[in-house]
Amino acid sequence: MYGRVIGVTVLGVGGHPVTVEAFVGRGLPSLTVTGLPGAAVQDARDRIRPAVEHAELEWPLRRVVVNLAPGNLRKEGAGLDLPIAVSVLVATRQVPPKAAAGQVFFGEVSLKGEVLPTPGVISVAIAAARRGLRGVIVPAANAVEAAQVDGLAVTGVATIQDVVGFLRGTWRPQELATTVVESARTGSADLSEVRGQDEARRALEVAAAGGHNLLMVGSPGAGKTMLARRLPTILPDLTREEALEATQLHSVAGLLAGRGLLRERPFRAPHHSVSTAGLLGGGSTVLRPGEASLAHRGVLFLDELTEFRRDAIEALRQPLEDGRIVVTRAGGSVSFPARFTLVAAANPCPCGFSGDPRRSCRCRPDQEDRYRQKLSGPLLDRIDLRLSIPRLTKDELLGASAGEPSAVVRDRVIAARDRQRRRYSALAITCNADLPGPIARREAQLSPGAERLLGRAVEHMALTGRGFDRVVKVARTVADLAGDERVSESHVAEALSYRTAFEQDESLPRAG
Amino acid sequence: MPDEVPAGFPDGFGQGPGETDALLLLRCLLGPTPRALHALIWGTGSASRALARIRARGAGSDNDRAFLANADVGVIRRRLDRVGARFAAPGDPDYCPAFLRLADPPIGVFARGGALGHGDDRVAVVGSRRPTATGTEVAVDLGRGLAVAGVVTVSGGAVGIDAAAHRGALDAGGSTVAVLGSGIDVAHPARNRGLFERIEASGTLISEYPPGAPAEPFRFPARNRLIAALSRGVVVVEGAAKSGTRITAEHAVDLGLDVFALPGPVTSPLAETPLGLIRDGATMIRGTADLLEDLGLEGRVFEGGVPRGLSADEHRVLAMLATSMLPTAVARATGLPVADTLTVLIGLELRGFIRGVGGRFERTFAAARTQPTG
Repeated sequence: MYGRVIGVTVLGVGGHPVTVEAFVGRGLPSLTVTGLPGAAVQDARDRIRPAVEHAELEWPLRRVVVNLAPGNLRKEGAGLDLPIAVSVLVATRQVPPKAAAGQVFFGEVSLKGEVLPTPGVISVAIAAARRGLRGVIVPAANAVEAAQVDGLAVTGVATIQDVVGFLRGTWRPQELATTVVESARTGSADLSEVRGQDEARRALEVAAAGGHNLLMVGSPGAGKTMLARRLPTILPDLTREEALEATQLHSVAGLLAGRGLLRERPFRAPHHSVSTAGLLGGGSTVLRPGEASLAHRGVLFLDELTEFRRDAIEALRQPLEDGRIVVTRAGGSVSFPARFTLVAAANPCPCGFSGDPRRSCRCRPDQEDRYRQKLSGPLLDRIDLRLSIPRLTKDELLGASAGEPSAVVRDRVIAARDRQRRRYSALAITCNADLPGPIARREAQLSPGAERLLGRAVEHMALTGRGFDRVVKVARTVADLAGDERVSESHVAEALSYRTAFEQDESLPRAG
Repeated sequence: MPDEVPAGFPDGFGQGPGETDALLLLRCLLGPTPRALHALIWGTGSASRALARIRARGAGSDNDRAFLANADVGVIRRRLDRVGARFAAPGDPDYCPAFLRLADPPIGVFARGGALGHGDDRVAVVGSRRPTATGTEVAVDLGRGLAVAGVVTVSGGAVGIDAAAHRGALDAGGSTVAVLGSGIDVAHPARNRGLFERIEASGTLISEYPPGAPAEPFRFPARNRLIAALSRGVVVVEGAAKSGTRITAEHAVDLGLDVFALPGPVTSPLAETPLGLIRDGATMIRGTADLLEDLGLEGRVFEGGVPRGLSADEHRVLAMLATSMLPTAVARATGLPVADTLTVLIGLELRGFIRGVGGRFERTFAAARTQPTG
């Protein structure tokens, strides 16, 4: 007796259809799974029989062989529990084979026959839709997720009985609450709540408009974290495509918690004790996306940058360059998308009070040197904006005007981004931050005044070649925010103000 | 041994082949203080007899005897040759005669770089290892001004004011003398290694300590007496109340030198030594011009090449920056749009009149020097 259904295994972030065949033949009662099953799939052997019997269905007391095809693809995850169970039920004709055809089954089962919430459902639905299949049968808790994918009939099931009932035509799933509600931003944080710090607020706007990474250097209590948390609120809304990508990553990480599509740009703030695998993704059997991927299309915030493990920080270069992370383990390698805006924060020196007008710094020069060395390096090269965040005095706070709300700033950001997209339509990039250095100088359209100011900056501020490119790109973004075709002197001046003490080594003024 | 140790050294001290070697060995002992060595010389009459007394357990410590048991003058001399250093006894060209005016003159010193010019006019610039940005700028300017006036700058080898004064003088094509608190072949602190190479090329490095001696804080006060002795005047830029800077100034007073001090805010810990010295009678200077005038060198006053022709906006912003201010606060105070304010601020920064510190802007020493009062 033979049965065949379709399941999906999720490797990394992608779903791969798997044909699950069951053969029930003569021999001592046993269940064998062939076709490169991973450890979690092997576990299914002992889970499925009690689950089926608990659902008051019959488990054949004969030799059962389940094969997972294609045989060269490694299969991971408990999501194959359900298709394996159904394939046996089809083979024993407890459900009609015709009804099972054209459906994708996915979900972990318990010994009681419940279908449990399983990570990666949205990836399953995307794979099913791409394959042109009719419908997906997924855990009820994840049905909302699957419903985000167009052109699929989604059936959410809570138990194996539900599955069987559905296939026999005796049970209907509850109507899914219409989930495609365009939920407005929840408005948990808003830029208008930041008092003072006009310069920093403006820098956030520039970062958002040009896709620039941002480093904030300032004493403890200056408000670095508060500012960073508000960057997602001024970024453009996620497009549907971006939202699907981000949702997939959160789904496979099991972090979606019953939500459908991510509506807000993610904000991830891993603690500095995070391991390299935690930051970039990894794991021994099932490869999980790391914090950098969970921040995909959003903001990755690294507070206390100098406290992070050096190797973890170095490894961030790959996603910053390519927007992807390739994780390789003995079992194979997977690639996770990771295109995020990096916001890093650090104290200006080990004690935190260098440059503070009211508290004196207690660090020895060699301690400061070592600290600065920690902050330098290849990661810093990818950070266009480096900002000093001062701790405000009482007078400065009292004199501060109320800031603009996020929505107003966001409108300017969107307009600036549109301008960049149009300009770079031929270059396959979307924002100024992605401009390669030599092209930046050509594309920026510097006015003569801007050229002169840049020339003087090279001479007097010891601007390196890369530093020069960064200033040009940031100045281009400032001009885009102003709606100007050309970069003027004042745009360059603003870009030059986004530097920190770290770049002014030995800061000796030169007369003249 | 006489109760009162006479000044200087006995006649013929340190001369002759045997004496020179004995003196070098004595100077390579890490144990005895300069004062103890000086007294021992007067107590025995010559370097070789002083060495013999240490070997016979009449002076020194077991550590000294352990060192002498293995010491080889040839090895020490080769070690000095390798780094281009030499040993100078009293009377040698590299031994500054003014050292003999100290109550505890060094029995010899090590030197690297050019010879110490005997006709040289030398002025010391000393101060904190952790100065403010303003202090650093003043020290650079003093070094530069002294160099242009043909005066050799003397200082220690530390970071902060010391390094800034050397750099200012060297950048202006001048010569400097650095007195190290470590062995002549030890580059400490490491970040000054490049600076030491520059000083060696156009000035002199001096150390009283044996080759290889590590930098230890307890050696710095003794080192400071040599800085004072080498100079005709000492300028104190910034220093905390109980600091090596204060000690250098005290040595200068003992030697009857002119002491100059640059005032700072009464609330600043780094102004405590200069303000205390001014109260005790040191000469207050506001910068390089005052110093050169007081040294009788005003004919050669260094004019820094200050650019003229600030725009009206630049004047307004500069006049506004009495304290350090946020750019938006400057914009509010002047009524200029923020974008224009930034342009003005960056322009002023590029000309060295202001600097950015932790997100705020403040005036530099160059601005104080050129800003017309009122």
